[in-house]
Amino acid sequence: MRVTANTFANDLVVHLGRLTQRQNLLQTQAATGQRIRNPSDDPDGMGRVLDLQQEGRTLSQYQRNISLLKEGAQVSFTVFQGLKRISDRAGEIAVLAGGVRSREEMQAYATELDELIKQAVQLANTRHRDDYLFGGTRTQTPPFEAQYDANGNVISVAYQGNADVREVEIAEGLALPAQTPGVNTGGSGPRGLLADSRTGADFFAHLVALRDHLKAGDSQSIQTTDIPRLKDDEENFIYHLAANGVMQARLDTANNLARTRLEGVEKLVSQEADADLAQTLVRLNTTQTAYMAALQTGGMVLRQSLLDYLR
Amino acid sequence: MLGLFGTLDMGARSLQNQLTGIEVTGHNLANVNNPAYARQRVRFQTNTTIPTPLGPQGTGAQVVAITQLRNALLDRQLINEAGLSAYWQTQQQLLEQAETSLGQQLDRQAGSVSAAGTSGISGQMGLAENLSDLFNAFQSVAAQPASLEERQVLVQKAQALAEQFNRLAGRLTGLQSTIQQQLQDEAAAVNRLTAEIAALNHQIARTELSAKGPANDLRDLRQEKLEELGKYLNLEAVEDETGQVNVSVNGVMLVDGQQVALPLEIYDAGQGQWQVRTSDGQPLPLSSGSLAGLIETRDGPLADALTRLNQLAGALIAAVNTAHGAGFDLEGNTGLDFFEGTDAATIRLNEVLAQNPSRFQAAGVAGALGDNQTALALARLAVTAQPALGHQTFQQFYHQTVTNLGEALAQANRQVKNQEAVEQMLRRQRDAVSGVSLDEEMTEMVKFQKAFQASARLVSTVDELLETVISMKR
Repeated sequence: MRVTANTFANDLVVHLGRLTQRQNLLQTQAATGQRIRNPSDDPDGMGRVLDLQQEGRTLSQYQRNISLLKEGAQVSFTVFQGLKRISDRAGEIAVLAGGVRSREEMQAYATELDELIKQAVQLANTRHRDDYLFGGTRTQTPPFEAQYDANGNVISVAYQGNADVREVEIAEGLALPAQTPGVNTGGSGPRGLLADSRTGADFFAHLVALRDHLKAGDSQSIQTTDIPRLKDDEENFIYHLAANGVMQARLDTANNLARTRLEGVEKLVSQEADADLAQTLVRLNTTQTAYMAALQTGGMVLRQSLLDYLR
Repeated sequence: MLGLFGTLDMGARSLQNQLTGIEVTGHNLANVNNPAYARQRVRFQTNTTIPTPLGPQGTGAQVVAITQLRNALLDRQLINEAGLSAYWQTQQQLLEQAETSLGQQLDRQAGSVSAAGTSGISGQMGLAENLSDLFNAFQSVAAQPASLEERQVLVQKAQALAEQFNRLAGRLTGLQSTIQQQLQDEAAAVNRLTAEIAALNHQIARTELSAKGPANDLRDLRQEKLEELGKYLNLEAVEDETGQVNVSVNGVMLVDGQQVALPLEIYDAGQGQWQVRTSDGQPLPLSSGSLAGLIETRDGPLADALTRLNQLAGALIAAVNTAHGAGFDLEGNTGLDFFEGTDAATIRLNEVLAQNPSRFQAAGVAGALGDNQTALALARLAVTAQPALGHQTFQQFYHQTVTNLGEALAQANRQVKNQEAVEQMLRRQRDAVSGVSLDEEMTEMVKFQKAFQASARLVSTVDELLETVISMKR
């Protein structure tokens, strides 16, 4: 092919242009560490990265949900323990009252029980992050309301909440209950914490009855009625403590799974989008060498012509 | 027999011939950097012989023409390839703008995928993050339905998403208006070029009629104009026997000899879809060149991206409003729309919610402020296949939109690269035929110089001979 004066110059410009473009691309890849920056760099890869990133963000949200549930479960656990202690003490008093003859002693136990009832109401109305924990989905009003007699003693405790619980997603398609209803007398759904028709538990009513029997000195009723009833309540608390433990274990497992999956997603995004730095630098080096060679030889060729040798 | 005077005359003509050679070489050298120029050569021819007793005798040489070296096939190919290059370059340019408008860039330095979710400052500004943020905010409200803080965050995320939709729709629509302006500018450029080509046809015909030989430099200029015109549309240029070039596009004559047959104009084919037609009202079908690139990008990938964004916004508005409308807010109200508007340009968060986040209807039943069934249903929309979106989820549909646009640009990038290679190869081939070589011209110059010197020597020799003849008398 015949090569003319401008063929050299034009070709050199094209070659230098290509090498500059390539250097720019590789330099950007080295500086950002990314193979994909814009969708056009690798449309399919970008599509996969977007899917993975979305999964990552969803997993992060699940982790936040898990930590929120865990927090709630831990607070609930403390309440359960407190209630269990009250239940234990009430049981003790019931047993002790069986062997007591003195009316004064019975009265003293009755007074203690009054305090225990108030303490239990307070515990059952525990709030966490603006929500009453044991009112079902009626979270904005105190679930338990005590009625007092003229002497300031609790005569009954009314439940203001419902037996519904809200569920929170901790993984795709997997939702766990975020609450324990205070009372469930419907015979189905989640078990009530203080009263449940299926187990016979009705903590406040039983405490009030025990206190009244203590006041009346009716040790017979305490023996035959109150002690077995309090046993039902205790079993109900034990069930809730155990269920809470299981729930926390599930949350831990779910959190671990989410974390592992998130790490996997990070790794996959990295595989798709990140540049192989070693390879990029080697290629950049090669391109720079080619660029220098093109400049040098181009300069040499362009400078020379027949003109240099004609006088 | 020429005799001394005849020989002197021949020497003088030879001097003139070599001088013409030097002049043409000089012209070539002067145009060495003119890309439209085709090198020229002097055509010599031996003069008519005269009969002598010794037989026919030569009388020297004469310049019969100054011709240019061109390959018509390569010239035609270059016009076509220039059109294809411009077609893809236009697409590339517009799609690059569209890609930037979409703002779906990947910035790995800004944070990990998990950090991107929690902080929202991942340095990414695309709709994908806004969509995730909205559904995550629904999740957060579902986890704490009575929390005003979470509701406030939800309102902000929903506003950010709506604004992002508006921005994207605005940018893509703006790009379409730019295209319309560009179509008008380019149609004007085409009309200017066709007028110039017609004028050059006239000049070439007139010059070639009055003088022998082709009007080389005017033809160079016309070829340059044709190549420039070829960048705008797919043209066929046919030279007639008078040396005039007729230009037509898909059988529609634009330049007929010395006249512009039909100027181009831009018209609204409906709904702002501006098209090209000739002044007689006939739509002009285009298959290559930047005009076709503009129209096809607008009606292809850009329109597709905008339609998909509108579809996505429409489906999101409908699905979210349906789910939200069934819920109950903190005050016990129901039936409120979450979003207002119908498409990407008009979507916005209901002003009632923006003013008062407690109006967000998270609960599925009235009177239970801690209930989250509606919020949970809204959050679950993120993983629900939408029949209106071809049974893809919102995010899958958007990711597909990004991928489609990316693929269109990647395709344009590949084609531009290929076209560059083809065009470069053709230009090299044309350079091989028509380009000026400095070395060659210098050699030519030395050749003519030596011949000029030799002819001058002939003149001085004949002069000496004449001197001798004249001195014979003394």
